[in-house]
Amino acid sequence: MKKLFGLLLFILPFVSVAAVHGVELEKAPINLKDKASLQRGAILFSNYCMACHSIKYMRYNRIARDLGWTDDEIVKKMAYGQAKPVDDVMTRMLPGVDMEVLGTHVPDLSLMARLKGPDYIYTFLKGFEYDKKTKTWDNKVLHGTVMPNVLEGVQRYSTKEQFNQDVADITNFLEYVGEPIKVKRESLGWKVMLFLFIFFIITYLLKKEYWRDIKH
Amino acid sequence: MSQNVHNENNNLTRRKVLTAATGVLGATGATFLAVPFVSSWQPSEKAKAAGAPVDADISHLQPGQMMTVSWRGKPVWIVRRTPDMLKRLPEMDPKLRDPDSKESIQPKYASNEYRSIKPEYLVVVGVCTHLGCSPLYRPAVNSPDMEKGWEGGFFCPCHGSMFDLAGRVFKGVPAPTNLVIPPYYFKTASIVRVGENAKKGVA
Amino acid sequence: MSNATHERPKNSILAWIDRRYPLVSTWNAHVGEYYAPKNFNFWYFFGSLALLVLVNQFITGIWLTMSYKPSAAEAFNSIEYIMRDVDWGWLIRYMHSTGASAFFIVIYLHMMRGLLYGSYKEPRELVWILGMFIFLVLMAEAFMGYLLPWGQMSYWGAQVIISLFGAIPVIGHDLATWVRGDFIISDATLNRFFALHVIALPLVLIVLVFMHIVALHQVGSNNPDGVEIKKYKNDKGLPIDGIAFHPYYTIKDSMGAIVFLFFFAFVVFYMPEGGGFFLEPPNFEPANPLKTPDHIAPVWYFTPFYAILRAIPDKLMGVIAMGGSIAVLFAMPWLDRCKVKSIRYRGASYKALLTMFVISFLVLGWLGTQPASPELTKLARIFTATYFLFFIILPFTSVSEKTKPVPERVS
Repeated sequence: MKKLFGLLLFILPFVSVAAVHGVELEKAPINLKDKASLQRGAILFSNYCMACHSIKYMRYNRIARDLGWTDDEIVKKMAYGQAKPVDDVMTRMLPGVDMEVLGTHVPDLSLMARLKGPDYIYTFLKGFEYDKKTKTWDNKVLHGTVMPNVLEGVQRYSTKEQFNQDVADITNFLEYVGEPIKVKRESLGWKVMLFLFIFFIITYLLKKEYWRDIKH
Repeated sequence: MSQNVHNENNNLTRRKVLTAATGVLGATGATFLAVPFVSSWQPSEKAKAAGAPVDADISHLQPGQMMTVSWRGKPVWIVRRTPDMLKRLPEMDPKLRDPDSKESIQPKYASNEYRSIKPEYLVVVGVCTHLGCSPLYRPAVNSPDMEKGWEGGFFCPCHGSMFDLAGRVFKGVPAPTNLVIPPYYFKTASIVRVGENAKKGVA
Repeated sequence: MSNATHERPKNSILAWIDRRYPLVSTWNAHVGEYYAPKNFNFWYFFGSLALLVLVNQFITGIWLTMSYKPSAAEAFNSIEYIMRDVDWGWLIRYMHSTGASAFFIVIYLHMMRGLLYGSYKEPRELVWILGMFIFLVLMAEAFMGYLLPWGQMSYWGAQVIISLFGAIPVIGHDLATWVRGDFIISDATLNRFFALHVIALPLVLIVLVFMHIVALHQVGSNNPDGVEIKKYKNDKGLPIDGIAFHPYYTIKDSMGAIVFLFFFAFVVFYMPEGGGFFLEPPNFEPANPLKTPDHIAPVWYFTPFYAILRAIPDKLMGVIAMGGSIAVLFAMPWLDRCKVKSIRYRGASYKALLTMFVISFLVLGWLGTQPASPELTKLARIFTATYFLFFIILPFTSVSEKTKPVPERVS
């Protein structure tokens, strides 16, 4: 038995595949159950990210339902009344503009949290640095990114704590967008496992009862 | 012992109880497990989004004219009835199966003799209550392709059901009930929102 | 006593059926009166668990095809549609993706059992060989299924594996093109992989699993002592050390299945990505034929063979070595020439060799997940050598192995 568990531990090395980024990623202080943070994140996302980025696998009404808004509220808060609740959350940039202005395709952010992890997003958003010599901006996580430091204004006019909170809220929102069902999934899991545990006890007793027939 | 199985010590009651408990738990588990598989056949979020309310602009609709909008993939007709058409409606009553729409589906606010909010505008789901074909609009009295004495209404080409200009079914045809009136309200004087009841505070 | 009156109508229906179809006799032959050794241990759960996972894959797979779109333009979107828009779609998809990895965990442990207790030996050679065919088809099934989400890993994983055909002299490149149905992995490839994944290979799997079980029941199950229970029978002609599969092993296996489901549920609900091994992060990005991810590794269950492929500094030889590492397992019944089956009574040489083999397999598996580097390649070469050494040394040591006396009956 012991050998087997050793074997299982070998076969299932549950260490995350750490991608090489060159910089150490800061742990994002996020909590998917914090709806206030998610609501703030959604509004910040709309104000600072949606000029270029989309989250096309989400609809406004789904976000509203999960974050505790009404359909009318979300359209007002995230789309300034310019969308229907059933619309996908698309970028405000017209098609093709990204290639002309930035020379690259702006990625959809629906799955960014699952692709790179929330810590990457958190560190990236905080990772813009101004080089006084060359008078250019760069990002320590992704060197040479064409993405401008869109949160620069926020950073300049708020305290460090407030800025960190804002970035965490955006990260939290993107983590939610990556897998909107996650909170429900985790709240269902232990119930299923509890049921299986009780089921196991009964079948264990049943097995013992029947196996009393067998002489060893 | 030549047999491994010996029956003297068996506690048969305990065995039966445990077997029953296992059976009950197994059936419970199987039922819960079936839930995701059964409900995944329900209309998805995407289908529900496509079934969202639609707005129809009726400002260009002429008297006697009909327009069609698509709601949940079904045709919804908006007919602007003339005073003459409206006048004839009560005269139909004896020929109809359900003249007062007691057996038929319509929102409360359309449960009147015109089956509409504003008598002038009929909003109705264009799907025959018989087997789901979409009837044809034949508004004219004595329309040439209809039988003699036709007084204007809808005719279903599949199985010959006939309805008057309030979507009420005639006697002696296969369709059992009147055409369905969907939830709708006038968002403005010229915009009809189909698929949603008026919210509180909205006229 | 009241039972007797209740059972009569049921029996008459059964009798009616049985005159026309061998229902009762089939049940008896394979379950009710199939006599299995009474001393099965922990390792013997994995056969029935493999069957359970197979059923899980069939049912969740059928449900996934109801919403999945096998086209390059829509595949990725349709997966997100299942994950977000279809009621409970996320659960069905996670059950399928977790099931794929669970399948290989179970199958590897099932094969390990065979190596421990000599289940491949006379008279069970065909059981082993049919099992090896199941393993091969399962690998093809998993490989093709992995292309379907049409993410970056799907795309580039398939690209690498299909390019292996290119190593075959003369016809290689044409063959790779023929498999793809295009000059790159494309819509055509996705479509044919979908057809094979959901129709052709599952049918082959069912037939092979059926034959695997029929062959097993023809010769009877082995056991941790590796002795034949058919040698000693009672006055009714039943093996003394055998017990009816039903109810004893049906109940015991049900218990095992519930324990398995407990762990399965944990993964599905709390770590569906399996730490990046069951669902790999780069696969959350749609396939892009113009950009290879920084580090591509096959899914964990292929990594031991992938490490062997990478260890050999020659394309053709690498492909041959990788194929050989699987093919050589088919020959186990004849490479192992020791008469004693169970490791309990075998000599130190087999125990040492098997330990070496298992360690090689695990280390190669780990190496296959790592980015290639000179040190790791050296390591991979060493363990590739020890992997094959197991099969090379075994025929010689197993002839004159110093074994312990095998008991007459199961202990």
